[in-house]
Amino acid sequence: MMFTAVFMVGPFLYAVYLSFTNRKLLSPLPTRWVGFENYIDVLTSSDFWAALKNNFVFSVVTVPLQTGLALALAVLVNQKLRGSTFFRTTYFIPITFSLSAASIIWSVLLNPSGLFNTVLEIVTFGQFTPDWLNDPRYTMAAVIIVSIWASVGFQMVILLAALQGVSQDLYQAASVDGANAWEKFRHVTLPGIRHQLFFTLTVTIVLSFRLFDQVYILPPKPGGPIDATNTIMVEMIQASGNNQIGKASSIAVLFFLIVLFLTIFFRRFEPKDY
Amino acid sequence: MRNSQVKKPKRLAVTALVLALVASACSSGSTAEGTSGGQTTAADSGDDTSELVNSDIETCDGKIDKDVTIALAAHSGDDAYAQTVDDFNAGPGKELGVTVELVNLGEESYEDFITGAAASNSLPEIIDMDGPFLYNFAWNGFVQPLGNCVSQEKVDEFLPSVIGQGTYEGELYSLGSFDSGMGLWAKKSDLEKVDARIPESSADAWSAEEFTTILKDLETSGVSAPLDIQWSYGAGEFRPYAFASIVQSGGGDLIDRDGYQTADGFLNSQGAVDALTTFQSWVNDGLVDLEAIDDNNFINEDASFSWVGHWKYNDYKEALGEDLILVPLPDFGAGSKTGMGSWNWAMSSAVEDPDAVWAFIDFATQAEQVKSIAAFEGAVPSLLSVLEEDPSFSPGGDRYLYVRNLQASPEVAVPRPQTAAYGFIRNEYSDVFADIVGGADVEETLNQAVENIDADIESNEGYRPAE
Repeated sequence: MMFTAVFMVGPFLYAVYLSFTNRKLLSPLPTRWVGFENYIDVLTSSDFWAALKNNFVFSVVTVPLQTGLALALAVLVNQKLRGSTFFRTTYFIPITFSLSAASIIWSVLLNPSGLFNTVLEIVTFGQFTPDWLNDPRYTMAAVIIVSIWASVGFQMVILLAALQGVSQDLYQAASVDGANAWEKFRHVTLPGIRHQLFFTLTVTIVLSFRLFDQVYILPPKPGGPIDATNTIMVEMIQASGNNQIGKASSIAVLFFLIVLFLTIFFRRFEPKDY
Repeated sequence: MRNSQVKKPKRLAVTALVLALVASACSSGSTAEGTSGGQTTAADSGDDTSELVNSDIETCDGKIDKDVTIALAAHSGDDAYAQTVDDFNAGPGKELGVTVELVNLGEESYEDFITGAAASNSLPEIIDMDGPFLYNFAWNGFVQPLGNCVSQEKVDEFLPSVIGQGTYEGELYSLGSFDSGMGLWAKKSDLEKVDARIPESSADAWSAEEFTTILKDLETSGVSAPLDIQWSYGAGEFRPYAFASIVQSGGGDLIDRDGYQTADGFLNSQGAVDALTTFQSWVNDGLVDLEAIDDNNFINEDASFSWVGHWKYNDYKEALGEDLILVPLPDFGAGSKTGMGSWNWAMSSAVEDPDAVWAFIDFATQAEQVKSIAAFEGAVPSLLSVLEEDPSFSPGGDRYLYVRNLQASPEVAVPRPQTAAYGFIRNEYSDVFADIVGGADVEETLNQAVENIDADIESNEGYRPAE
């Protein structure tokens, strides 16, 4: 508890205080109280809203896609088949990579003449080989691909554990009742893992809002090209990189409020036990 | 989660913590100011006579009081630097009772390390920083002027660009062992293939239109994306260093250098917009290589030009031999311009005995050390005497153009803006340039950048030097 207070609550409250000052990281000028000036600055800048929009686009696409894929993978590797341990391991490996290191590797793979496009060229007969990282239309898609690759294994493992917790008796009972595979999935599996599924959904939403490493490293400039992948985290880091601690703190506080609101909002949909 | 009974102590702890943090915030604000004034010892400057640079600032008192060990925060721990430190410690250092300890901070986060050290009042004595860091460091009081430590005689031995870079608010703060060279490396055989005129000096550089034609001719002749601009270097110091010259050559600048209070009418001047639009058209026409994954496309692939600094010379020369030539950057209307400046030595404000620090800086900028450090970096030696000895930097030599440009500083080799706002300007221009290459509307992008830069200057109360 003390630990939480010192390392989490304390710094946060300090950030709230800083967000009302003109504090610079280092400056010979004295720190002044500026009231809501930072907040007004941030909320009236088009960059902030563009970043927020990118955050939403990313979440709206990634959350269902990633959770769905995680569920599908979990069901697949849950089969009692030869080699399922191998696949479980393979899908989980990206989790153990540092995301920033993986982003550097991906930036090479996503080079217009890189491995990714070489495969695409074969598959699409040369019809579709975009410049993923320099063309603003495709960069967010590239970021989404990398993000899903990097974190789908985490959800998969949680869902896999959940799947293994569903009693075999229920499946046998369903079989006796003449249910087919889909009906078993729909009426036995899904209800059986609804809590874990809800948990992964919530966590994915929150994590997706923290989108940072990929968009900082993959594009030709952080959040680029031309702000196509700019996010609130990037805005915040850039403000502090520019010495503007007061402004960065106000973005951090706003970010906290947004995520808090989303979390509370989704809590309402939490499945109840009957 | 389960211990709701400890709620009360927690709340108390938090309150105490907040109070402590706020208190520390206030006090750290005042100590930061306290460190800046400090070290100028008011001892009698005695013996020195002739016209010293800023001799009115008595940084040195001519004697080293006692044996000291001083830290050198270097950007590299490689041979040439380690050797210089060893030689100093074994030679003049031993005589004077000064021991230098080399701490290698690397290049990438050098600036952050120093700001961090300053925030915790633990600045090293000698700071070896990239040129443009100086102005913000000086504004913050992390470094102090060399003042009467350096004689006019010594100053006159340097390339004017090195002295220009080391000057902030009329005071000389730093000296470098080398300067950087920036230009366009080209393959002579490719130029001959398209019958291009080969410019000898910045004065007869290709005009932007001429260069456009050459690029297009090369493409027609089968060279795909003939201009390699080291896009793989990513965001950071390279972009403003290498590409601010486009704005300057168009007749604009990153900021109004008269007072450094606004970028309006400079970064977004018509000349700047036109020059960057021309550059953007090269990108749009597929004449620029943005796909390179490292800085070797010029030698590994078929690019005809490489827009890069001196540090690639050794690799290129080895691969291309006599086919390698250095040509000036294209002239966008106001003359060919180029970036300049590199790592240089300064004295931090946390110095007990400036004379001891000066003894090392003086040593590291003497002919022998300059020769070995510059050779190691592949850079332009900062001393005129060393330059004269090196055929590569003499008339007819491969890199003579660098020297001519640096000697014509600030008209040709333009120092990065000598203001504490430079850090912000650099980030902004790096962003802007990436956006323009990515296809953004040039004028709109530049106007937005001007707005951001002016807002930052205003929020820092003009970055006016503290009294």
